[in-house]
Amino acid sequence: MYNLGQYFSRESPVHNRDPRVKIIAVIALSIIILQVNTIGLIVVTGGVIVVSQLAYLPLGSLLRTLRPVLPLFLCLFLLYIFFTPGRPLPWFPTGPVQITYQGLSLGIHQVGKFLLLVLGASILTMTTPQSEITIGLERLLRPIRVIGISSHDIAMMVSLALRFIPALLDEMNSISDAQVARGANFNPRRLSGKVRAISYLAAPLSVNIFRRCDELVDAMEARGYQQGQRTYLRELVLTRADYCLIGALTAVVIAVLV
Amino acid sequence: MIRIQNLNFAYEADHTPTLNDINLLINEGEYIAVIGPNGCGKTTLIRHLNALLVPTAGEVMFNDLNTRDSKSLREIRSRVGMVFQNPDNQIVGMSVEEDVAFGPGNFGLPAAEVRRRVDHALETVGLTGLEKRRPHNLSGGQKQLLAIAGLLAMDPKIIVLDEPTSSLDPAGKKNVLALLQKLKGQGIGIIHVTHNMDEAAIADRVLVMDGGKLIADGSPDDILSRVEWLKKLGLAPPKVTELMWRLQQVGEDVGSNIFTIEDAVNEITTLLAQLRSSTDYYMPRKVGGHV
Repeated sequence: MYNLGQYFSRESPVHNRDPRVKIIAVIALSIIILQVNTIGLIVVTGGVIVVSQLAYLPLGSLLRTLRPVLPLFLCLFLLYIFFTPGRPLPWFPTGPVQITYQGLSLGIHQVGKFLLLVLGASILTMTTPQSEITIGLERLLRPIRVIGISSHDIAMMVSLALRFIPALLDEMNSISDAQVARGANFNPRRLSGKVRAISYLAAPLSVNIFRRCDELVDAMEARGYQQGQRTYLRELVLTRADYCLIGALTAVVIAVLV
Repeated sequence: MIRIQNLNFAYEADHTPTLNDINLLINEGEYIAVIGPNGCGKTTLIRHLNALLVPTAGEVMFNDLNTRDSKSLREIRSRVGMVFQNPDNQIVGMSVEEDVAFGPGNFGLPAAEVRRRVDHALETVGLTGLEKRRPHNLSGGQKQLLAIAGLLAMDPKIIVLDEPTSSLDPAGKKNVLALLQKLKGQGIGIIHVTHNMDEAAIADRVLVMDGGKLIADGSPDDILSRVEWLKKLGLAPPKVTELMWRLQQVGEDVGSNIFTIEDAVNEITTLLAQLRSSTDYYMPRKVGGHV
């Protein structure tokens, strides 16, 4: 079962913050990271680790959230070190490929930044229940009403997507079980076989998704759903500490940008 | 009260209509079972009750609100709740309490009122204590109870259920049926579409549909005791009713309007007692022993 970056129920100052503050913090983090140099990067990394410890998150499970993105970032790293022009490293065997100083430093920086961003997002999802993230998102997006899009609709879409991920995983497993039972091979050696196996899975899965959608739409309409304004079980209230944090984050972002 | 007048409905204009000239009056607080073979239009009929479908011809009225009128849509849907067959595809929220809050939230009630209704609805269906659970991890029966709680939070007058027990285990079935009885006791009308005649037997009134028409409307006593007729329609009468009917066929003096095991036991013991006291009773009491 997929549960990386899933909510860790704890009582902590980070958990207790309004979800809006945490979402703003992640956005601020992504802006700051793109602007800082090596020292700044180390400072920000330290900050992220301090926050994760304030939230009583075990460092091990936090780092494990990086695992799915590691192959991608490894590729990125290799691209950076091999394809950045500059002064070659002397001890690297000469030949058609060369590693440059500039490439190495750029690779470490860029990959470090991305990993840090993933960590920040993981802290958000590990300290905030999904429902709070969606409500926070809804409140933050309210200004887009001026261009005629309701933030309630977007929050609804996000929460439905999150709600149906486990259901669809179940569905996929039962489809693949049914096909394995009839002799399908989901781990073929050849690439063409792999592609075919995926297509056998994708077609019935998408048909089922559309059927589910139909039923879901009926159920939602039957419960009075209409686009636009609605209310929620919880109302978010920003405390003074929340306001201070938002102010501080904004100040840091402005300082870094200027 | 729901009044259906000359309801005709076709999914596509030039196809044969799915519903043919249906007239029906549903009173407040009635427990109605709707039975009929597959494809007879049961589901299509009940979808008209809360304006998920609008008649091709004829009218469906809830009190004095017409389902054609899009302005009264919300009012009708809050008063006529609907539970669907598949419990998985009607759960919207990421947690139990949020799912129940979906309905009241759609009507824009303030958070405190939403909270009050959610707690009350969960208590009524007996899911208190599971508020924070993910709906995905509930059992099938609990999911259906959750779906009903989601309707109760909208304060409905009538709850319409489309084969709510067809995918549940016996314990889950029992819970859902017990809840329906309880809600009926609170004055909420129940319309229960079912294939299971044992479930139809606990209703106040049974509607039978076939080929898009309403072909019978009466008490369970009236309808379910017509064993031969039900079988001709492709429906299975309750097992005990069929047993009684078979006994009648071989000339025993039993009634065929018997739907529960208890009634059947009573009827059979009465019959045996009669037999024992009658003069031509000559069976040996102990086989192989002294008579």
